[in-house]
Amino acid sequence: MTDDGRPVDPVTLEVVRNATAAISEEMNAALIRTGYSPNIKERRDCSCALFDADGRMVSQAENMPVHLGAMPFSVEAAIDRFPPETLRPGDAVLLNDPFHGGAHLPDLTLVTPVFRDDVLLGFAANRAHHADVGGSRAGSVAADSTEIYQEGVRIPPVKLYRGGEIDDDLARTILANVRTPDERRGDLRAQRAANETAVRRLRELADEYGVETFADAIREVQDYSERRMRTEIDRLPDGTYTFEDVLDDDGRGNEELPIRAAVEIDGDDVRVDFAGTAPQTAGPVNAVFAVTASATYYVVRCVTDPEIPPNDGCYRPVEIDTPTASLVDASPPAAVVGGNLEASQRITDVLLGAFAKVVPDRVVAGSQGTMNNVTFGGVDPRTDRPYAFYETQAGGFGGRASGDGMDAVHVHMSNTMNTPAEVLQTAYPLAVDRYELRMDSGGAGEHRGGMGLRRDITVRGHEATFSLLADRRTRPPYGVAGGEDGSPGADYLLRDGEARRLPQKTTLDLSDGDTVSVRTPGAGGYGDPEERDPEAVRRDVQSGKISLESAIEDYGVELDDRSP
Amino acid sequence: MSNGTDDGVGERGTHTGDGERVRVGIDVGGTFTDVVAIRDGAVHVEKTPSTPDAPDDGVIDGLERSARRAGYPIDRVTTLAHGTTVATNAVLERDWAETALVTTAGFRDALEIGRQARPDVYDFTAEKPAPVVPRDRRFEVEERLDERGRVETPLSDDDVRAVAGDLADAGVESVAVSLLFSFENPDHERRLAERLREEGVEASISLSSDVLPEIREYERTLATALNAALKPVMDRYVGRLDARADDLGVPADLRIMASSGGLIGAERARTAPVRTLLSGPAAGVQGAAHVAERAGVDDVITMDMGGTSCDVSVVRDGDPIVSSEVEVGAYPVRVPMVEIHTIGAGGGSIAWIDDGGALRVGPRSAGAEPGPICYGRGGTEPTVTDAHLLLGRLDPDSMLSGDLSADADAVANAVRDRIADPLGMGVEEAAEGILNVANANMERALRVVSVERGHDPRGFALVAFGGAGPLHAVGLAAELDVPRVLVPRAAGVLSALGLLVTDHVHELSTSMVRPLDGIDATTLAEAYADFEREGRERLAAEGISDDRMSFQRSADLRYVGQSFDLRVPVPADLDGDALDTVAERFHAHHERRYGHASSDEPVELAAVRLRAVGRVPSPDLRAVDPVGASDRIDDAIVEERPVVFDGRTHDARVYDRAQLPPAGSFDGPAIVEGEESTVVLPPETSATVDPYGTIDVEVGR
Repeated sequence: MTDDGRPVDPVTLEVVRNATAAISEEMNAALIRTGYSPNIKERRDCSCALFDADGRMVSQAENMPVHLGAMPFSVEAAIDRFPPETLRPGDAVLLNDPFHGGAHLPDLTLVTPVFRDDVLLGFAANRAHHADVGGSRAGSVAADSTEIYQEGVRIPPVKLYRGGEIDDDLARTILANVRTPDERRGDLRAQRAANETAVRRLRELADEYGVETFADAIREVQDYSERRMRTEIDRLPDGTYTFEDVLDDDGRGNEELPIRAAVEIDGDDVRVDFAGTAPQTAGPVNAVFAVTASATYYVVRCVTDPEIPPNDGCYRPVEIDTPTASLVDASPPAAVVGGNLEASQRITDVLLGAFAKVVPDRVVAGSQGTMNNVTFGGVDPRTDRPYAFYETQAGGFGGRASGDGMDAVHVHMSNTMNTPAEVLQTAYPLAVDRYELRMDSGGAGEHRGGMGLRRDITVRGHEATFSLLADRRTRPPYGVAGGEDGSPGADYLLRDGEARRLPQKTTLDLSDGDTVSVRTPGAGGYGDPEERDPEAVRRDVQSGKISLESAIEDYGVELDDRSP
Repeated sequence: MSNGTDDGVGERGTHTGDGERVRVGIDVGGTFTDVVAIRDGAVHVEKTPSTPDAPDDGVIDGLERSARRAGYPIDRVTTLAHGTTVATNAVLERDWAETALVTTAGFRDALEIGRQARPDVYDFTAEKPAPVVPRDRRFEVEERLDERGRVETPLSDDDVRAVAGDLADAGVESVAVSLLFSFENPDHERRLAERLREEGVEASISLSSDVLPEIREYERTLATALNAALKPVMDRYVGRLDARADDLGVPADLRIMASSGGLIGAERARTAPVRTLLSGPAAGVQGAAHVAERAGVDDVITMDMGGTSCDVSVVRDGDPIVSSEVEVGAYPVRVPMVEIHTIGAGGGSIAWIDDGGALRVGPRSAGAEPGPICYGRGGTEPTVTDAHLLLGRLDPDSMLSGDLSADADAVANAVRDRIADPLGMGVEEAAEGILNVANANMERALRVVSVERGHDPRGFALVAFGGAGPLHAVGLAAELDVPRVLVPRAAGVLSALGLLVTDHVHELSTSMVRPLDGIDATTLAEAYADFEREGRERLAAEGISDDRMSFQRSADLRYVGQSFDLRVPVPADLDGDALDTVAERFHAHHERRYGHASSDEPVELAAVRLRAVGRVPSPDLRAVDPVGASDRIDDAIVEERPVVFDGRTHDARVYDRAQLPPAGSFDGPAIVEGEESTVVLPPETSATVDPYGTIDVEVGR
């Protein structure tokens, strides 16, 4: 104990903090390096974290913000099922059940207890999105599910490894329920290798500092984040700030589903109450509490200081209340795959809308608010092998105090990379015909909202099934501080020279030569468009990002033609 | 052209007989231009100020001064190798040619959209790098190849004519052409270039099928656009330098260091400037690798720490790790480059206490102005260098070149007021704390390049250079379980030295995605034969004789459905069983790297590669000149002074590096003061001096 009552001195704190952060990053690097599927290696849809012996998070390396606050729930669920006295070295607990520590079924989480001799030092955990976990549709992102039972194989916390040996019966049972078992086996192996990296390194650290000092240092790392987070929150003006937005629909005919949040800042505490949010719904857009917590932590982190090391302490000042069996806290047997993908984005939009009322310079205007999930499946005529192709699409990032919103990026809860058109056409019997920014899609503002994109994909030489799970096709992303709304997205089937508008949550059969055209939302603008620098308006016209008409109507800037 | 001299490389001099040969390497850094001349085994080092507005001025000035001071005639310079930052600076400052892009219809925005990920997840002010070519200078033509390069839509001549008109209107100096699947079939790109020329387009043209014939349209287009934007800049610079060297009477051909750690000819550098983005740093890593090799070490982590930043990289089996995943100016440039990881930790990094009460070091730096407090130039915030001073590791009387006056009281007061008192510590404890935190930051960087890439640091040596590297290296090595540290003597000019120990290398590759069992060995053999012909031509044009050429064939393979490849060697003789051998090698490599393999899974070919190497003989460096060195190690001791390690004050011996005798050995705690840097040896370490003056430290634990 140091003079000021802290368990370790400020130098040990910083050294151990660096070491634990490095361990999470090393796990993450190992997972990506040894991962089998493009989802892990190319899209990096995975995250790794360390936890103390009580299951409180110590450090995290996350590629996907939607994993940010959700993994502690996995470790908690694993400990609930397997209390420390039932765990042995070499055990590892697998789960994906959204109602027991998971988020949605494709995310498989592996939790490994770390022992030094007989002492439990903590836990290593990682989560990876698997390209297929069974269920009604290839790719396991079905837009038409109404119950979790249709969404894939459901795994409560179970010991996949016992004393270093895999439970072969269990593994075979799981793999018998998925479409691409070899790929799953390879990815699970990588997940285990990543946790083993942490086992070795945590033991080394405990050796170096001794178990007690190590535990003290870990506690101080968490307390440190809490102190910094409280300092930041304390700087925000007290008050309660409320905002409401909607999910367009659930794909089952239920429209305009409200999500509502009241953000109360009280000294160095934040309380978020989602009262007034819609009850859970038939379609697969329900978020479990862990997803809502992730979105909330993400927003709090972004509007305070993103440099604060993410761990248990960071979130102690944040309290979240949700109505049970609601869109933001689903109960079984709700379908939830889109809660993680779509509702999570709207929760983020709602919270940023609330914070815009108190710290407008720290938020961004409404971003595209969807991940535009598309899945194609069928049999590749070139190889006669079945395939499932899943990808998400970028769109506009909101205008902000610091400048225009970014054009065509993944926003907020997602940050995956795309599949290059050449890789797509080589690996699957599909071709990208157009890939471009959507003119006039970014909301007008002193700082323009980011642009959505258009991506046309054509089916080649076979018949395919297609699934679309998207939102923000009706209600546009909102503007902030006088900025205009962005443009909603729109999706079309191009067949025989005609374009037919598609519902935003749909599954359909495609024929050879059919083209699906996905047009993603542009983001809201920031600030009064009249205040925009006319030179920036001219540049946007010159580069075809806005039309001459928009320059006049939205910005009041007269330009003769497109040349300078 | 080669006149059959014994080093057989690129000599076009008229001297015959036993005329001496001088090999010169010139590296341009931000502040200094370093010239290393090797003459009859002796190394001569010259430093002149860099001239950023016209770097060739500094190069020519340095060369003339080196010749004058070392006393060699310019017409005896048989090797002239150059590391340059011209391309790098052009990218960082976006000071490049007005460039246009021509691409397949429907894809003009691929360059701007990129891979869709945003650069920072939580920072709302983050920005994507601006596209290399702005949207109104990106043009489309109707044409389309399929995934095997077969024509689906012929190139539209109407579109080509229209684009020629657009290019004239836009008034661009350079044009990038990048069409879908051109790596499978370059015909459309070549035809397009021909037609643009016929239509009167005079701008320089870069084709993606030449610059980076690899799958992934964004990365290929980006590399091509960067190449196009840099081409006029590099063409002018290298052309000017080449002519000036000629005018001086230098008989050697000018060679440029490529980012991948091999030399290329001036002509190649002018047409493929995107391959020179890490020219200087790559030379530094080569220099470090050479020093290690002389000490009998093949696996090395290099650490170059200066005032504001620290560059680290890994050398494996004597060769720098080359990666295609390097970012330059936030652009993912997928051409092969020596993998160098940079963090903001240097001697000038400032120590501070954050809102949460933790002691932090950097990333803010006092830089050169005002610099650390002990420089006496008005710095008020304690830095890493100041902490070294307080602990006795740096000597206030002889610090750096000696013309900087250090005020030890001012340093102690600042550390007390800003760090020690608020944290309830003593001044020395706080100073050690600053160094521990700085080391923790650097340890993370070293782990990124080693452990995270699958290299176990326990089998490596750490080569430390830069003004601050040797102060931290031994302590860091202990933390990482690295058993050995090497501190080269001419650390400050390792880059220039590296230029003289580097081979000519041309990396040739093309994506070729198809199932391995469906490939005809003859097709593959033809692809390699084409590459070898081109490699041979390029090396011959650079004056490499046949007997110094070698060609390494490899292929990138993966399991069908995987998106990441493994590179395996391919036998030169592609007979019937060769492809089976290649598949077996792939399975074995996969097992080794990832811990699992499935020999019954179908394997897919992704790319074929050939590395054409023109070997340059290593200079036979003479052992360090014993004149000036003491006979006995104790004669090199300057003083004993108190130095703090782990909270205890030791009487450490202080050695003058210039007087260390070859083969001398000594134990820590000790300090070695040299002109360029100071080496710190904590207790329980021991060091020897090798014949070349390198300090070789055995790290105790």
